[in-house]
Amino acid sequence: MELYEYSAAKLSAMMEQGEISARELCESVLNRIETTDREVRAYLTLQKEEALKQADEVDKLRRSGEALPPLAGIPVGIKDNICTKGLRTTCASRMLHNFVPPYDATVIKKLRAQYAVIPGKLNMDEFAMGSSTETSYFQKTANPHDLTRIPGGSSGGSAAAVAAGSAVVALGSDTGGSIRQPASLCGVVGLKPTYGAVSRFGLVAFASSLDQIGSFGRTVEDAALLYDAVCGPDPMDATSVRRDVTPITPQLHPSVKGLKIGLPHEYFEEGVEESTKNAVMNAAAELEKAGAELIPLSLPSTGYGLSAYYIIASAEASSNLARFDGVKYGYRTEHFETLEQMYENTRSEGFGDEVKRRILLGTFVLSSGYYDAYYKRAKMLQQQMTREFVSVFEQCDLLLTPTTPYTAFKLGERIDDPLMMYRCDVCTVPVNIAGLPAVSLPCGRDDMGLPIGMQLIGPHFSEARLLNTAYSYEKLIGGFPPMPRLSGKEGAK
Amino acid sequence: MNIDVRHIAKLSRLHLNEKEIPKFTEEMEKILAMVEQLPPIEGEGTLLDPDHPMELREDKAETLYRRDELLANAPEVEAGCVVVPKVVD
Repeated sequence: MELYEYSAAKLSAMMEQGEISARELCESVLNRIETTDREVRAYLTLQKEEALKQADEVDKLRRSGEALPPLAGIPVGIKDNICTKGLRTTCASRMLHNFVPPYDATVIKKLRAQYAVIPGKLNMDEFAMGSSTETSYFQKTANPHDLTRIPGGSSGGSAAAVAAGSAVVALGSDTGGSIRQPASLCGVVGLKPTYGAVSRFGLVAFASSLDQIGSFGRTVEDAALLYDAVCGPDPMDATSVRRDVTPITPQLHPSVKGLKIGLPHEYFEEGVEESTKNAVMNAAAELEKAGAELIPLSLPSTGYGLSAYYIIASAEASSNLARFDGVKYGYRTEHFETLEQMYENTRSEGFGDEVKRRILLGTFVLSSGYYDAYYKRAKMLQQQMTREFVSVFEQCDLLLTPTTPYTAFKLGERIDDPLMMYRCDVCTVPVNIAGLPAVSLPCGRDDMGLPIGMQLIGPHFSEARLLNTAYSYEKLIGGFPPMPRLSGKEGAK
Repeated sequence: MNIDVRHIAKLSRLHLNEKEIPKFTEEMEKILAMVEQLPPIEGEGTLLDPDHPMELREDKAETLYRRDELLANAPEVEAGCVVVPKVVD
């Protein structure tokens, strides 16, 4: 087995015991990138020299006898909408093709304090708008399980890199499913934390009331390790919640005895593939066998989730993206005489079609005469959906649903139909609307061998319960399947 | 629902060419038809979470960044200022 194949938890222990060095691990991951990324195309920017320097620093500290945190020396891939000081951060947009942040996002500061190694920045849908990573200005990322298919999105680069072994763990962001959906399609674990659990300072804003940074790993423990490293309050983000934080990873233990798991029937209805429903229900049966209680229940407003989501997210996006005007940073058109022309041409040349659609929709729903009919009603619906979640959590500890209605589709299959693309998010958007935490984890394959994911949703700040349940399931099935084979020079096994 | 994409584009500071107008109009109408499916709903659309009142930092000046670092990303800089087209005669 090659080093890049191991879990972060295992690698951390191996480094601590002196069995391997951080440099050896870093070289293994950089080699893996070298052999597979021409096909997978997960990375937008690499910093090999800097990563090796960071790894050497870890080895030096370790030799001096210093006790190091668990992520020390672990290569962590970073979604390209998270600001990294001195390292280009593009949001996969022409608008920021040349942007080099003068500061680190809070999550990056925390990773540096843990001596994590950052090999590079990962592809995504432009400004995180999309569900397939195909709206990236730069390149299309392939699903490591089938290179002719999409990895999901918008954090498709993060999910694909972790699935392919070209990162051990990765950070992504989730506004309507952008961590959970690609995790599901790439067969890895993806955690979307409670709104306010992780600082958004330095995350390029898409929809500020819904965005949240979260973690990817090939095991539940790895996703938990990375979450533990980046969560917590931050004076630089007024929406980060002031509360005490206890690391979750050391508490993980496989047990679901007496756990009440709700199954909301709206998430298993039309549009969800039979193979997905069956896989999730089989997982539910496994958990029941291990002592959990299954409770069928209803979340009646679920069907309105997509409407509320696309109104609120687009409205916030149209405001947030007003800052891209060609004045202070990023792309500036060459074709202008007046200031107005400079704004319009910069934005028209700098943004792709999906970003333009969302800006137009957001501007429309906020415009005079339409605000009450759209935005205000969507905000009221948001409260109603939140109340429904609160009330079902009086009957159960968490909910189990499919993450996505279907497995990975072909590259190019849906890119020309925005509505088809939006429907990918039907099972994930309600979670963001209510600000809840949720985790997606693998629960089987369809008849084409493509990964199926299930989603566990919990009350606010129930990350420990969610991850523990996910961890229990992982142990019950004897671990998740190994990495997919890739046709690069060295296969996965 | 008819939507005046030209007007919305103007408000958004986006320039759409003659080919793009019908394409975006059709797409926007389809998207609106989807998001219009909202139930009749009563109540107040308050925006703040009463359980987590946001705290502002103390209003105290701190030096977090250097001016030249911040300006390094600007497309055009002169004498420590960003340059834009002339807006007053």
